[in-house]
Amino acid sequence: MLDAIDKTLLKTVADLEELPKGAYNIRKNGKLLSRHVSANINIETNADETGIIVKIKPGTKNESVHIPVILSQAGLYDVVYNSFIIGDDAEVTIVAGCGIHCGTSDPEGHAGIHEFKVGKKAKVTYVEKHYASGDGKGRRTLNPTTKVFLAEGAQANMELTQIAGVDEANRVNEAVLGPDSLLLITERVLTDGDQTAVSTNNIVLSGSGSRANMISRSVMKGNSKQTFYATMDAQNKCFGHIECDAIIMDNGTNETMPSLKAGHPDAELTHEASIGKIANDQLTKLMSLGLTYDQAVNRIIQGFLK
Amino acid sequence: MLELKNLYFTVPESEENSGGSRNIIDGINFTFDDGKFYAITGPNGSGKTSLAKLIMGINPVSKGSIIYDGVDISALTITERAGAGIAYSFQQPARFKGITFRDLLMIATGIDDENKILNILKRVGICPLSFLDKEVDAKLSGGEIKKIELATTIAANPKLAIYDEPDTGIDLWTIGPMVSLLKKELAESKATTIVVSHNRSFLEAADIVIIINSGRIAYSGNLEGAMPLLDDLSVCTYRDSCEGDSDAGCYR
Ligand SMILES: Nc1ncnc2c1ncn2[C@@H]1O[C@H](COP(=O)(O)OP(=O)(O)O)[C@@H](O)[C@H]1O
Ligand SMILES: [Mg+2]
Repeated sequence: MLDAIDKTLLKTVADLEELPKGAYNIRKNGKLLSRHVSANINIETNADETGIIVKIKPGTKNESVHIPVILSQAGLYDVVYNSFIIGDDAEVTIVAGCGIHCGTSDPEGHAGIHEFKVGKKAKVTYVEKHYASGDGKGRRTLNPTTKVFLAEGAQANMELTQIAGVDEANRVNEAVLGPDSLLLITERVLTDGDQTAVSTNNIVLSGSGSRANMISRSVMKGNSKQTFYATMDAQNKCFGHIECDAIIMDNGTNETMPSLKAGHPDAELTHEASIGKIANDQLTKLMSLGLTYDQAVNRIIQGFLK
Repeated sequence: MLELKNLYFTVPESEENSGGSRNIIDGINFTFDDGKFYAITGPNGSGKTSLAKLIMGINPVSKGSIIYDGVDISALTITERAGAGIAYSFQQPARFKGITFRDLLMIATGIDDENKILNILKRVGICPLSFLDKEVDAKLSGGEIKKIELATTIAANPKLAIYDEPDTGIDLWTIGPMVSLLKKELAESKATTIVVSHNRSFLEAADIVIIINSGRIAYSGNLEGAMPLLDDLSVCTYRDSCEGDSDAGCYR
């Protein structure tokens, strides 16, 4: 059922060697390839058949759902609308990811619109990896959107990674935080050649005691370009932090626009941003430990995007 | 054996358009013998760090040569000098994102075996186990990062080790153990040890004290003989305004 290309894509985006344990839904070239549900996790196709609804029962502990998407069909632009309804007190890991293999000169792309409703005191870890491969010249586009709604005391930890090979990415992350909820977003994006990536983040801290931390790490190689927008909109007593670091290699370019809006006197918002080449003292340190210049560069980038 | 022959490090004068140049290291001739403990001291800005960086290959040699074990290493890269057994513990260590103390130890030693890493940690004593998976980033205190810096240098098993002000930011009660550690390492590995410091404990531990002033060696010999000149130079020029050795917060 899975061919060799499917297997490498799955391995890269979802760390899967074979079909996963627990609940999963694998989508290939716009169609359902394989699905498995568990006692606590239900997956069904939505009413207009444009995606899936994943429901996690309240109180579910230590379970995971894998929902990888693989594309290897020339000329296809696949759009899905997935919703995740996470019951109160549940703790779950969701592994999503999209692997594109492009063997021709026709473009291929995927847009995943993922909506999360995280119940009271529930905890969700969402891991998403994007990767494209293949010798074809066709443009590979990935436009993911995540919308997160956190109920009182809920937590979401989002790890969003774009590894390599994606020509064009336009990412949107939106979140609305209820009282005492916690949102952590870590985004890592590596671009090369003439690739472009735009990431737009809108985080609304609406509940009292809500906290959000957005970390962005970007590396631009070749002539690639990345643009990063992040807005923290504080509407209550809350805490928000944006940390965005970009490393420029070769002739890469970057624009970073963190923005903080405090609409409440007890809002605490901070940001740190940096753009630049790899720091010289980091390179000399690693070379003095025996690495060559190139090894030192690779090691620093590897750590930065870890 | 490390020989510095008529060594210069020259930079353009900072005043624009002056076209002049300044010798930061101004014609140093000196021979470091194998297996000895050297302490280098001298006023702020006298060129101690510049000299250490010349030896490690971080600063380019402007004139003269550096002979190490009979080979002229003046033109070798930092990596090649590291390969030849030279190690340098930075005065102001680099901070990374996403690189841990464990990662640095692995890079320095090539070892990833957990037990061997723990043995290294035991050997260097001054770093608690809890440091191991800490990121070597901006969150570390000045003292913590200096301990990590020193530990990675020792772990690399150098034949020639240079420690640039290892005591900056270190709590007073760690300095004694740090001195003993360097002496123990020297006794076991016979590595030539050079410590840049103003701290009396290091000066007392040294076989030979070297005073650098304005890019030149003003004195080399035992500590007793160095005392008059040290007083003369009143080595720390901020002595009146600062609180003393611990956490002075200056970058001598
Ligand atoms: N690359 C450089 N370019 C210009 N000036 C330098 C450079 N490196 C060091 N200096 C200057 O040389 C002097 C000696 O510096 P340094 O070796 O760091 O002194 P020390 O370690 O003895 O305090 C200082 O005035 C410093 O500003
Ligand atoms: Mg110095």
